[in-house]
Amino acid sequence: MYTRGSLPRKIGIYVIVLIMVGLMTYPLIWMIYSSLKTDREIYLFPFSLPHEMQLDNWVQAWKLGNLGRYFINSVFITSVSVFLVALISSMAGYAFARLTFKGRDFLFYTFLLGLILPAQVLIIPLFTFFDKIGILNTYFALILPYIAWGLPLSIYIFKSFFLTLPEDIADAAKIDGCSLFGLYWRIMLPLIRPALVTIAILQSIGIWNEFLLALLFIYDDELKTIPVGLLAFYGYHNVNYKLVFSALSITTIPVIIVYFIFEKQIVSGLTAGVLD
Amino acid sequence: MAFWQTRFGREGVKYLFIIPAFAFFLIFLLIPAMQSIYYSFFQWTGLGKPVWTGITNYIRAFKDEIFRLSFINNILYIMGTFVVEVGFGLLAALILNRKYPLFGLFRVMFFTPVVLSMVAAGLLWNFVYDPNFGVLNAILKSIGLSSVTRAWLGDPSVALIAVTVVSGWKYAGFYMMIFYAALQRIPQELYEAARLDGASWWTRITKVTLPLLRESVVLSFLICVTGGFSAFAVFYTMTNGQPYHRTEIMTTWIIKQAFDRNNMGYAAALTVFLVVLVLAFSIVYLKRTGKKKVIEY
Repeated sequence: MYTRGSLPRKIGIYVIVLIMVGLMTYPLIWMIYSSLKTDREIYLFPFSLPHEMQLDNWVQAWKLGNLGRYFINSVFITSVSVFLVALISSMAGYAFARLTFKGRDFLFYTFLLGLILPAQVLIIPLFTFFDKIGILNTYFALILPYIAWGLPLSIYIFKSFFLTLPEDIADAAKIDGCSLFGLYWRIMLPLIRPALVTIAILQSIGIWNEFLLALLFIYDDELKTIPVGLLAFYGYHNVNYKLVFSALSITTIPVIIVYFIFEKQIVSGLTAGVLD
Repeated sequence: MAFWQTRFGREGVKYLFIIPAFAFFLIFLLIPAMQSIYYSFFQWTGLGKPVWTGITNYIRAFKDEIFRLSFINNILYIMGTFVVEVGFGLLAALILNRKYPLFGLFRVMFFTPVVLSMVAAGLLWNFVYDPNFGVLNAILKSIGLSSVTRAWLGDPSVALIAVTVVSGWKYAGFYMMIFYAALQRIPQELYEAARLDGASWWTRITKVTLPLLRESVVLSFLICVTGGFSAFAVFYTMTNGQPYHRTEIMTTWIIKQAFDRNNMGYAAALTVFLVVLVLAFSIVYLKRTGKKKVIEY
């Protein structure tokens, strides 16, 4: 923006920016290089780089913890939930944007209520309900509420997207004898691909990192997702610093890599719910 | 689909688009929310039959000193996150909103903590704050501030601030991007005009930029309030209320009541209180935005 400006001023700005960016990234860098140190080095020289790279720390952390299993659980739960949220909410978003039926606006505003309801109020009834029907401590205990909680914002975003499409596309398709569902599936859905990407990113990150339900509704270690699994790992090994640093690095580095690859989509996806 | 159309008629088919969403919404959101209100009038351990006790749970909430403390902590935490997340995020956006080389990369790096899980952030900062090998004390020692070093999370006078800083670290990037997007929408001509009038950088910021960012700041405040009342993971992984409930917030106390002490009815009443607070703030905000004039540049 302010491209003009004297050289000392420019240097000053770079110094400030580097300090700010350093504040945000240094803890992560520290985590990664600490994971390659011995416990003694971590303890005596918190700052310094590893004397010798202890890659074995990562191998040990992977073996001792159940990290592989947590990864599989997180991938499965996230992908199933996100797929179903996108499918169900795009159908509803389409109906709210383009179909006329009785009670449409009332139903839409009812969904919006879900945007401001904090999850805590749902925990106790869902816990007892899931206990009663016997799905507590199964994937279902997470997937079902994740789908439901993802709907309000997704429906809202899909609706505003469908509204931007010109209406004569639908008219043309109807004349060609397309059924209502065919119209949605074959014509509308491909047109809103950007919205699908936004929803997929927004929901994936939210569900991948979800903690409250994952903590309370799953107690079998074999079924835990990464956040709760990490906490369990910390509980077992919290005096074994190098292993905790390693487990943290193993689970966060892939996320950071994915973020740097899809940086544009992820930033716009995560801020989408707020900026519209 | 032809089958559905003959079965339900042309009108009925439309509802098939809504029914799956509504079923999920009803079963996992609306009904549980209602049930929480219902349970809040009972004494109930989670097992056995709930006993109707009227508004006893609500009276108990007002007398519960730790709940009152957790409410105050919650308010302090929200004010703290507003200062750290929104303040730092806004400052960063103002500085990073330049077409200098590498600034695109710097914005991306600044945003990184947003994509991590709060649990990973909390556990990492447990180590940053560690009194023995934490990097924070190491930095302070190296710049001659040994007297300031301490067990950050164990010291009652700073524990809440220490947790708030972690929230700030994780979310400042989010607010930076919100303000950055808003700044991008401000037309350059406004700055050119101000510059021609001889306005300094500071004047341009306070007289041109900040007034135009007002709606973004109000929105950020609402996100801080609703997010702050439902925060949980960062507290649970770092202190879980310790020391002496100085970092107890409403959600941590609710979860303790519900799952450690089996006071399900009482915990339900506390969640209702929490929801009413969040809804009240949201409604005030929605009313405000409903009335606000759209700013035309």
